[in-house]
Amino acid sequence: MLPVAGWDTMTPVSFLLLIEDDDAIRTGLELALTRQGHRVAAAASGEEGLRLFKEQRPDLIVLDVMLPGIDGFEVCRRIRRTDQLPIILLTARSDDIDVVVGLESGADDYVVKPVQPRVLDARIRAVLRRGERESSDSAAYGGLVIDRSAMTVTKDGQDLQLTPTELRLLLELSRRPGQALSRQQLLRLVWEHDYLGDSRLVDACVQRLRAKVEDVPSAPTLIRTVRGVGYRLDPPV
Amino acid sequence: MTDLQTAPRRARSASWRRLSSLRVRLIAVFAAVALVTAVSASGIAYWLNRDAVLKRAQDTALNDFRGSLTRNVSQLPLQPTCQDLTALATQVASSGLAYDVVVVDDSVPGCTASSDPIAFTVRQVPAALLTAVNKPRETGPGNPYEYHLYWQRVNLAGPYVVGGTKVVPGGPTAYVFKSLQNERADLNTLGWSLAIATLLALVGSALLAQAASATVLRPVRRLGDAARRLGEGELDTRLDVEGNDELADLARTFNRTAESLSEQVAELSAREAQSRRFVADMSHELRTPLTAMTAVTDILEDEADLLDPMIEPAVRLVVSETRRLSDLVENLMEVTRFDAGTAKLVADEVDMADLIMSCIDGRAWYDAVELDAPRGILAVVDPRRLDVVLANLIGNALKHGGSPVRVKVRQDDEAHTVVVSVSDGGPGIPEDVLPHVFDRFYKADKGRARSEGSGLGLSIAEANARIHGGAITAANNPDGVGAVFTLTLPLTQPPAPGPEEAR
Repeated sequence: MLPVAGWDTMTPVSFLLLIEDDDAIRTGLELALTRQGHRVAAAASGEEGLRLFKEQRPDLIVLDVMLPGIDGFEVCRRIRRTDQLPIILLTARSDDIDVVVGLESGADDYVVKPVQPRVLDARIRAVLRRGERESSDSAAYGGLVIDRSAMTVTKDGQDLQLTPTELRLLLELSRRPGQALSRQQLLRLVWEHDYLGDSRLVDACVQRLRAKVEDVPSAPTLIRTVRGVGYRLDPPV
Repeated sequence: MTDLQTAPRRARSASWRRLSSLRVRLIAVFAAVALVTAVSASGIAYWLNRDAVLKRAQDTALNDFRGSLTRNVSQLPLQPTCQDLTALATQVASSGLAYDVVVVDDSVPGCTASSDPIAFTVRQVPAALLTAVNKPRETGPGNPYEYHLYWQRVNLAGPYVVGGTKVVPGGPTAYVFKSLQNERADLNTLGWSLAIATLLALVGSALLAQAASATVLRPVRRLGDAARRLGEGELDTRLDVEGNDELADLARTFNRTAESLSEQVAELSAREAQSRRFVADMSHELRTPLTAMTAVTDILEDEADLLDPMIEPAVRLVVSETRRLSDLVENLMEVTRFDAGTAKLVADEVDMADLIMSCIDGRAWYDAVELDAPRGILAVVDPRRLDVVLANLIGNALKHGGSPVRVKVRQDDEAHTVVVSVSDGGPGIPEDVLPHVFDRFYKADKGRARSEGSGLGLSIAEANARIHGGAITAANNPDGVGAVFTLTLPLTQPPAPGPEEAR
């Protein structure tokens, strides 16, 4: 084991589950992520990953798309049925259909192989930060109530299960009601991506969020699209 | 769009011109042959006929005249009076063949003895005939008569044959006037018939030529059309072979040529696809071990300072070369995506100034680059792809050109484009290298075994500009200092289906 050095000991150790079928990549990423200060459990297949996920309840999952047996998208969908923990996809390329399918399956972010451990670590930390609470007020949009102190969202009194990313997106939009935010702005605010962020992350997350908060997701009344600009949260009427 | 529409029309009109001129030539040749044949045939027929008809008419008249004269001359007294002569003329003319007779006797001067004195007198007899008739011939074994019957054709208010002879030596001279009007009318009718026949032959030959040209030219035009389609890339173009003539042979040759052409094209493209797939597969296979290696390079780099000074350079070499290899494989994969046409745009509206600023900031080039970019030029682009383009152009200018590197952004409202020019203060690009700057792995300096870049950077930048619908051009600064790369991008992209809800 390499000596652990150079990371902020104040940061609580996060527990990651790495699901990757290639032995070399799995070992390499496990070493690198451990060194970045995370606790890492590794699985070599989707089935093993789901089993480890149920047994060990990690804080975040790093998931390879191309897996033998049940693939990364299916793993993602199965986890999303019950849990809202952050999922980061490991994908082959940034411009192919994998990214779109992966984001539609419920992933929060993706990185492209070969990934620099520093980049992956930055993404992991950014995703984990989204669940942190910051203010202590609440806002109501029709039947939708966003409680910023408890970090919960209820719709008609029912608790909504939102992933940290979805929650953060809703919070950022609700902080500026009626004001349109561009995809690039949202990428900076929610994903902490730089100028090269992928706007499909925003689109996919908005879709998932609408499916949960809108009465009719195909005819949204809360999260509106502003053509040529981005999205805005309409204040309650 | 206009090119596509006008090109076939132009080809069609050109082929029409070619074919019609061929048709015209065929018809002209047919008509000329028909004309020559008909005219010579009818000419010969006319002249033969005319000769025969006239000869028969005049022979009949002259023989009759001779006979009638011989019969009647005996009744003439030795010293005839003008009355006697007139009686002779009337007598001779009354033989029934409708000719008129004039009798002249030197011994009765001033007497015009004519069967029709109003119409015919001796004045109408040609002088040559008068002389010939009165000239005696030597009599001998071959020539029993001293005076012969002479004739000549003349025009006296119609065609006439005038014949004349001395009746008895020293006696009167008789002339016969026979009208050939009926014969001329017959000949005229014949001439008209022949002319009409010639005309019909001409028309017939033109129709025949038209039919012949159609049978010849239709296959020729079909062949021309097929050849044009083949040239336009429709390699499955084939002709129906009909019959066994030269045109069918030509069609068969065409089909064989098209067959072998399409086979060769198929083989070539299969080979090209194979080699592309090989490069794609290879870079894909290389990436898996590279991902594992890249994952641990950070660890090695962090620890390098603490290592044995003998080992540390080796570790640093492994780290830096792993990154290089990883860049190279990434670029190779990008190139294969462009080749296969699977590279996609993830477009978003961005401020060009922001994008360029971030590109420069992110690579710590801020001090080396002079940026002249007004804010507010919004373009719909794939920010990551454009970042690759800009990083390549600016990085290239810094590496090969040298300061001052200037980046200038302008909006062209007319062309609806944004133009980014990157110029440097270096020596410029040699003229012979200029056409190759976007070639893959092209090394301007052949002696340099290894370049710092992958050799794919500008090629990828150019391909990225192209899938945006834009372009990059390379040139030398007109004032002689440095090179200028100009990137032109459309401000908006054609709408692509995205995960956007209808509103």
